Amino acid sequence: MERFKLSLEYREKVGYLLVIVMLVVLSLGLFKLQIFQYRDLSEQSEKNRIRVEPILPRRGIVTDRFGKIIIDNRPSYTVSIIPSEIVDGKTIENLAELINLDSTQIVKRLKRNMISRYQQTPIKRDIPFETVAILEEQSNRFPGVTYQMERVRQYNHELNAETYTGYVGEISEDELKGRDPLLYHLGSITGKKGLEKQYDEILRGREGTNYIEVTASGQIIGEYPDKESTEAIPGANLVLSIDNELQLACTKALDTFCCGAIVAMDPRNGEILAMTSYPGYDANIFSSVIPESLWTEIRTDSTHPLLNRPLNGLYPPGSTVKFVGVGAGLEEGAVTENSIFKPCIGGYQFGNRFFRCWDPGGHGTLNAAHTLEQSCDVYMYQLGLKLGIDKLAEYYAACGFGSLTNVDLPREAKGLNPTTEYYDERYGKKKWTLGLVLNNSIGQGELLVTPLQLAQFFCGLANDGVVYQPHLVKKINRFNGIETEIQPKVAFNLPFSSNTMRILREGLMLVVEGEHGTAKRLKNEYYSIGGKTGTAENPHGENHSWFAGVAPLDNPEIIVVAIVENAGHGSEVAAPLVGSVIQSYMYRKLGIDVSDSIVVEKGLGQL
Amino acid sequence: MNLKYSALDWKLILAALVLSFIGIMLIMSAQHNADTEYQRDYYLRQSLWLAVAFIIFAVIVHIPPKLFDMMAYVMYGISILLLVLVLFVGSAKMGASRWFSFGSMNFAPSDFAKVAVLFALSRFLAYTKLPVASKRRMAITAIITIIPVALILKQPDLGTSLVFLVLLFILWFWAGLSPIYLLLIVSPIFSLIAASHWLAWSIYIVVLLIFLFISKPGIIFGIAAVVTNLVSGIMTPIMWSRLADYQKLRILTFLDPGRDPRGAGYQIIQSKIAIGSGGVFGKGFLNGSQTRLDFLPEPHTDFIFSVLGEEFGLIGALFVLLLFTFIFYRSIKIASHCRSRFASLVVMGAAGIIMFQFLVNIGMTLGFMPVTGLPLPFVSYGGTSLVLFWALIGLIVSAEARWQEY
Repeated sequence: MERFKLSLEYREKVGYLLVIVMLVVLSLGLFKLQIFQYRDLSEQSEKNRIRVEPILPRRGIVTDRFGKIIIDNRPSYTVSIIPSEIVDGKTIENLAELINLDSTQIVKRLKRNMISRYQQTPIKRDIPFETVAILEEQSNRFPGVTYQMERVRQYNHELNAETYTGYVGEISEDELKGRDPLLYHLGSITGKKGLEKQYDEILRGREGTNYIEVTASGQIIGEYPDKESTEAIPGANLVLSIDNELQLACTKALDTFCCGAIVAMDPRNGEILAMTSYPGYDANIFSSVIPESLWTEIRTDSTHPLLNRPLNGLYPPGSTVKFVGVGAGLEEGAVTENSIFKPCIGGYQFGNRFFRCWDPGGHGTLNAAHTLEQSCDVYMYQLGLKLGIDKLAEYYAACGFGSLTNVDLPREAKGLNPTTEYYDERYGKKKWTLGLVLNNSIGQGELLVTPLQLAQFFCGLANDGVVYQPHLVKKINRFNGIETEIQPKVAFNLPFSSNTMRILREGLMLVVEGEHGTAKRLKNEYYSIGGKTGTAENPHGENHSWFAGVAPLDNPEIIVVAIVENAGHGSEVAAPLVGSVIQSYMYRKLGIDVSDSIVVEKGLGQL
Repeated sequence: MNLKYSALDWKLILAALVLSFIGIMLIMSAQHNADTEYQRDYYLRQSLWLAVAFIIFAVIVHIPPKLFDMMAYVMYGISILLLVLVLFVGSAKMGASRWFSFGSMNFAPSDFAKVAVLFALSRFLAYTKLPVASKRRMAITAIITIIPVALILKQPDLGTSLVFLVLLFILWFWAGLSPIYLLLIVSPIFSLIAASHWLAWSIYIVVLLIFLFISKPGIIFGIAAVVTNLVSGIMTPIMWSRLADYQKLRILTFLDPGRDPRGAGYQIIQSKIAIGSGGVFGKGFLNGSQTRLDFLPEPHTDFIFSVLGEEFGLIGALFVLLLFTFIFYRSIKIASHCRSRFASLVVMGAAGIIMFQFLVNIGMTLGFMPVTGLPLPFVSYGGTSLVLFWALIGLIVSAEARWQEY
């Protein structure tokens, strides 16, 4: 057994060896951390102690042309969680119950928006004050839960202006791609629709940053000495061309109908004075987390409140576009001012099909201006055949149909202006008949326009053929006092000579003033008014009712286009509706007191 | 007998003193920004404790080792009594009952037990006539060690109990036992680790058998080694599969703190960040952000070395490593030329205790040893710990001064 006994000398050497191994191992450990990982670990140590706190800028407010509020900010409470202070089984569960969210939803939001474990992560915006009171009183039930004052957007919902205001929301990961990281980060509020989206970078301003030195427990020591904080730059305020009073008149006018849209513009510069899509939605619901049930309700609503009708509603324009056909005929020499076609006997026989006029009684023979007055279909059928599909389409296109108006709003629809090429593709070559041109000439069939396009076109008619690009923002007021006035831009000129324009304007006048005008009920003694009715056949139900109105006729300053879905004849529904909107504008301008009974009798009071 | 001061190992004393002063400085830095004045004054208390420790050191230097030799078993008995007592009347901190409290002072009987067990084992091994590898000799020394270990495990304090087992190993070795035996004794632990994969384990068992065949440690010992290895290797996977997930996680986290960056791993990660961000020259005294901003847990006790690494960098840390190495080197030298077998064993054991705590503590701060809660000798805050290590230095210096005595 003694062979296992070691000599003292041997043991001493083993001892030294052990000491040296220890020294080498520990030194290598030090070298690894302090030399090889120095850069990484230094960076982590810096990250540890600096908390970058964004200073949120005030988002710009939006007013109408007279400075009345459309979008404002209001203070609200946002509830947040500091992830490092979460107590399992308490924080998330109790909070979920309090703010009516699922625990899983809270966890999802924590994961999505967390910047650091020690930084408050917003969970729900715009919580009611009572909830804040509970958080305050029973704070021990909610460890790690904090709340902050934050500004949220407040939309003047009464105006039903969501069609152009849009709304804001937290930026999604998709939206974040390719954006300037200095402006946008996870949890940022960004415009999702409408002006909020279009002018987001102008409205949002620029976040400032506070560099704060914190301890491990998140306790704030003070400002971080080596980096100076930057101030937030408030967003610019927008002044719109909108007239809130007119906007209200539009909203009220549509109130009794299911669905529709109104666009009011100033033909002299393309300013949009009012625009509404009915029914709308309340943009304020997006300030907070929308309950799933409400969201589903809005999305599945058969009246499509989320559809932005003025920009994205595609409708056949009906007779409202007869001006284009008549204008084209005059320009192309297919007709002259007083030339006539076969008389209207309530319809027109084309091949083996009888194309009806809207008036089964027939119109007899009419010249160009009276065709517009009475909206005779038979005249238009014969003119359309003479022009042909492509000529007609060429003029529709030259009048802005089938292309974007380039209004300063996102996601606008182009509409559809069919050509031979289109029909060949759709039905196959020679598989369609010239009957389609008959439909096209009266604004039916495949031709689809948006209410905004139609309004733009009527602006051109009212403004000697000069068409301005429709726009909403009149002025941008930056926080430093710099004001930028948005100059009106000419989009194009209508393809009509002055003689043609004169005849078309006569038609415009006759629709209201003429003996047989389809909208003669709008005639009143305070101001002159012109327009055009339209009844768009709708294969899915009742006809859509259109009217485009222009006032005052001698020097037009407002055009109003309205469509009321499934409401019947233009002359019966849309015309009086437009009349009431124009009336509210003109009365204000002329200083007429609406409550005066004589006015009601002589004017449009009963419409 | 007169003690000649010139015969004292002043270099060794100086090394321990420098370490103690560095400790006071680091404690000051660690608690520089603490919330309470009590915490900010830790370094003052540590200074007082250093004075106490130095007095005890001086007293021990003047006591002839013979006296400890005679008193060894009595002291051992007292230490066991104290360890039993602390379980009943000790004050609990963080769920462990380890201290007797006298006002603001705490006394950990396990520190006293380290010295007592050192004496008891040294005395037995110094005078026994049993051969080095005899079962009786091993059994008796094992029992002397196991009794306090069991009591300390009950506190519970795994780290400190390990110190006693390591002490036993070192004294076995220094008393002449071949490292082959030591390897075989710890081999079930290797078997346990290898058992995580059947192939690794099979290879390990083959290697073990070859090792046994070549080293021929004796039939009974050989069979015991094989049986314990087989049992620990086979039982482990079975036990493991029966553990609940959270228990598995706890064990895995102990072995690899990186698995749980929010819990146990947090300390290790922050310690590594502290040391690494110190770089070569450090961030400067009182300037460590990890330390100052509380990212470093227990910066004045368990993680004092991280404060050193952060504020004084590689240079400061290497300096401390070298001071320790010097102490170990001197101790081994002294243990080798002491004529008294008892004194030699005491010196080696004392150095062994310091070495083990040094290795485990710094290894933990560097991230390759589990978190055990063992303080760094001389440097970490703690009165009894400081007194203990100075007492151990006293024993080493005293033995050196009287090296000719038998």
